[in-house]
Amino acid sequence: MSRKMLIDGELSSSNDDGVQYDFDLFVIGGGSGGVRASRFSAGFGAKVAICELPFHPISSELLGGFGGTCVIRGCVPKKILVYGATYGGELQDARNYGWEVNEKVDFNWKKLLQKKTQEIVRLNEIYKRMLTNSGVKSFEGEGRITGPHEVEVTQIDGTKLSFSAKHILIATGSRAQRPPIPGQELGITSDEALSLDEMPKRAVILGGGYIAVEFASIWRGMGATVDLFFRKERPLRGFDDEMRTVVTRNLEGRGINLHPGKNLKELIKTDDGIKVLTDDGEELMADVVLFATGRIPNSKRLNLGAVGVQLDAAGAVKVDEYSRTNIPSIWAIGDVTNRINLTPVALMEGTCFSKTAFGGQPSKPDYSDVPCAVFSIPPLSVVGLSEQEAVEQAKGDILVFNSTFNPMKNTISGRQEKSVMKLVVDAETDKVLGAAMCGPDAPEIIQGIAIALKCGATKAQFDSTVGIHPSAAEEFVTMRSVTRRVAGALKLKTNL
Amino acid sequence: MAASIGAQKVSFSSSTLHSLCRQIPNSLAPRSLPAISSPILIKPLKYNSHGRGFFNPYHCFTVRAESSNGAEPRHFDFDLFTIGAGSGGVRASRFAANYGASVAICELPFATISSDSTGGVGGTCVLRGCVPKKLFVYSSKHSHDFEESCGFGWKYESDPKHDWGTMMANKNAELQRLTGIYKNTLKNAGVTLIEGRGKIVDPHTVDVDGKVYTARHILISVGGRPFIPDIPGSEYVIDSDMALDLPSKPKKIAIVGGGYIAVEFAGIFNGLMSEVHIFIRQKKLLRGFDEEIRDFLAEQMSLKGIELHTEESPQAVIKAPDGSLSLKTNKGTVDGFSHVMFATGRKPNTKNLGLEAVGVKMAEGGAIEVDEYSRTTVPSIWAVGDVTDRVNLTPVALMEGGAFAKSVFGNEPTKPNYSAIPSAVFSQPPIGQVGLTEEQAVREYGDIDVFTANFRPLKATLSGLPDRIVMKLIVCAKTNKVIGLHICGEDAAEIVQGFAVAVKAGLTKADFDATVGIHPTAAEELVTMRNPTRKIRKSPPAEVGYHPDHWQMTKSNYLKKK
Repeated sequence: MSRKMLIDGELSSSNDDGVQYDFDLFVIGGGSGGVRASRFSAGFGAKVAICELPFHPISSELLGGFGGTCVIRGCVPKKILVYGATYGGELQDARNYGWEVNEKVDFNWKKLLQKKTQEIVRLNEIYKRMLTNSGVKSFEGEGRITGPHEVEVTQIDGTKLSFSAKHILIATGSRAQRPPIPGQELGITSDEALSLDEMPKRAVILGGGYIAVEFASIWRGMGATVDLFFRKERPLRGFDDEMRTVVTRNLEGRGINLHPGKNLKELIKTDDGIKVLTDDGEELMADVVLFATGRIPNSKRLNLGAVGVQLDAAGAVKVDEYSRTNIPSIWAIGDVTNRINLTPVALMEGTCFSKTAFGGQPSKPDYSDVPCAVFSIPPLSVVGLSEQEAVEQAKGDILVFNSTFNPMKNTISGRQEKSVMKLVVDAETDKVLGAAMCGPDAPEIIQGIAIALKCGATKAQFDSTVGIHPSAAEEFVTMRSVTRRVAGALKLKTNL
Repeated sequence: MAASIGAQKVSFSSSTLHSLCRQIPNSLAPRSLPAISSPILIKPLKYNSHGRGFFNPYHCFTVRAESSNGAEPRHFDFDLFTIGAGSGGVRASRFAANYGASVAICELPFATISSDSTGGVGGTCVLRGCVPKKLFVYSSKHSHDFEESCGFGWKYESDPKHDWGTMMANKNAELQRLTGIYKNTLKNAGVTLIEGRGKIVDPHTVDVDGKVYTARHILISVGGRPFIPDIPGSEYVIDSDMALDLPSKPKKIAIVGGGYIAVEFAGIFNGLMSEVHIFIRQKKLLRGFDEEIRDFLAEQMSLKGIELHTEESPQAVIKAPDGSLSLKTNKGTVDGFSHVMFATGRKPNTKNLGLEAVGVKMAEGGAIEVDEYSRTTVPSIWAVGDVTDRVNLTPVALMEGGAFAKSVFGNEPTKPNYSAIPSAVFSQPPIGQVGLTEEQAVREYGDIDVFTANFRPLKATLSGLPDRIVMKLIVCAKTNKVIGLHICGEDAAEIVQGFAVAVKAGLTKADFDATVGIHPTAAEELVTMRNPTRKIRKSPPAEVGYHPDHWQMTKSNYLKKK
């Protein structure tokens, strides 16, 4: 048994079965999910501790920081760079609106990066303060599980602390991985991409997921040459096919060189930068090669095997619908469980966990109609089913409403980029099963639509809503004619 | 009756005629004949006007009733004659034509400034309202973007300068394109477009500059026009029509009025770097809007350098020898304006339409009185859009036009539904709203919970500008329904639309909470508001349910008072 600790002179919390623990809950990982679960559990009266690695913009086995991926190496810094890059297009658009913008416009990457770092440091502090204010005890160091109720924290100076807890929550998130190709150490992941000292003039990106297209948009918007390699025909596998085509067209339209169906074979360091060899024998020179080839759950160094917590083949912690692992006192939420890897989903899982474990209200996170956004330029946002998913699951017909239009701003700016919106509707029930948009403000527009979908709104209810004129969003309530009717895959074939 | 006198009575049933008509080559089809001045021999009724098509519970009106002397139904040049080709008129005409009606529409010749003799296909929205206004908002907002971008590492060797002429030329080119598109839309729908001023002669006859047309139904959709009070020097004053077509940038402009037009133009001129002063009679801008939003917008506008003069009524505009203008108010005189703009309300265009003679009843302000189906006191005459001064918004005119066509020609009696109409003010920052204000909600429901968020968006933390966003949900304490939603801040108009679907569908706060956020957005704030900012409890009036029409009346009255 590990040494019991008394925190701040308080008495240990006692338990129903008489066993005394240092804490009711010990959370490993202070990212979105972990912080949420800690605060809410504390709100329910639990005595909570949380441990997190020391702060650093680039994560490793020994570095992290309160706030986690979202705040330090994900959503927030990414969106800041997207904002920065969007001005590139805005400057072009301004000209036809009468603005004489001097040809010599300078973009200072260092300044933006410095301000970005300032902002994430500020947020990191806010997260720490929130925990303190909620009465959660924070530790800096690496957490390991040494028993169903035992956690060991290795602090920066190497000293180890051991605690007992009634419940342990694993919220250690995930980390970018690199492909095993020669010279992979010359490439970077999204962590480094958000903290580069210099703006790359020539960027090569490998990957077809949202991270890949977001960084392609960021660097291109700032004026770099960008080459994007991905294995499929189009990027963003899993999204609606039609919307993938729209994103593909927009990336190309904004000047990104796309290399569909291609992979990188080798990276070689030269005086002029990194020589990139592709699998079809092409050679490119790059200042930066970004691997956006997926992320792996941070489950390796937690000692889970010894405790008997089951992992899936990808290394994700297996949990039930309440986020409980196979060890009843150990739970896991967020990216480390590899369910839907989004900040708001981790928040939802964290909240449900707290309610279940400490609020006396067993709550399952609800994964239906989770909206999400890809912050490409312009962005894509979706909620509900893609057309393909809807057709796959349908017993009847699916109605697809599509609106492709030139956003009003482009009528004068002259930008050749259409916005596309889509509603996927069950023909029989009239229920809207999916909504998608690619175009400026898409994520802001989809949020409200997501409520309607979540509550099973019908196309008739969309139609009965008056539009806001002139907006892009009004298209969602003014789609009158069906673009196509598709028979569901499960529809009974009759012999008539 | 003039044109109908020589018409032959045709004894085919309308369905026979319909198929007959289909066999006639398009070029010979009666509808493609040039404007009708001589009687047409075969006038196919593409919808069956006998016994159906008329539903109105109040005026049991049928074609038969009209020819009450027992004669065969009389002949008309058109099933529908629409006066005014703005949003509502064009929508109604196209939809009516789609239902098979023969339709004509008349509109004044195109000009950027409206008058008794000028207008243009597309109407206020396209030519003198929503569209050019929003284009100017885009243009003016770039100055804010430049400022913002500096916080994101962008640097300009010299400050970007704005060339007024380029913006104007591009705006006018776009308006020409749009008016062309509207004309094409009408043409493609088979609607006959007649240029000129329409005047109603009798319940079935319209005179357009001396030519006379008969129609089974007449639709008035002539819209409204800016109104400038008659004070000394009012001849020096510009209105919103002119403000959208100025030859050069105002150096220093006084905007009189506190409605949405005033605040929108204040934002536009401020963004284009004019010195802007607003003069309002009240203590606050935007009467009728949520109080918190009104305060917030005023604060944001003043942070951008717009000077707000409250409780000042204009008394005179004086032109100095150097050409500059002074505005004299009850509190004093402010000098040195290059322009004085009045955004002091709009009036329905009901003068010289022949309405009094034909017996169409109008309200005091000149708005045409209509029933819930947009029918006037004369059963064959209908009216939609701003001329009826209900809720004066383009999408509402579209809704009214669509409902009118459905009711009259689609055989589906349809009332426009005025509940939970979302709207936006394209001020800078913009406002988006749907449902009740907090004040209305308290009056109507008594017990409400108010959730608010007032935060600095991610963009502003980097740009260092004082931009903020305020968001507000108003929830009925008894039913948990979200009955009001208000946003002031970047992208407010785009954000509100989706939420409007949810509010219109009567969704609850719990439904909002069950929805996962999209991170990082501003909009996610609206689904993550956990604790009410305040709970307002009054002893509620007995059994107040949710009466969509009730609140519409409230809102409509607000608009009317403006």
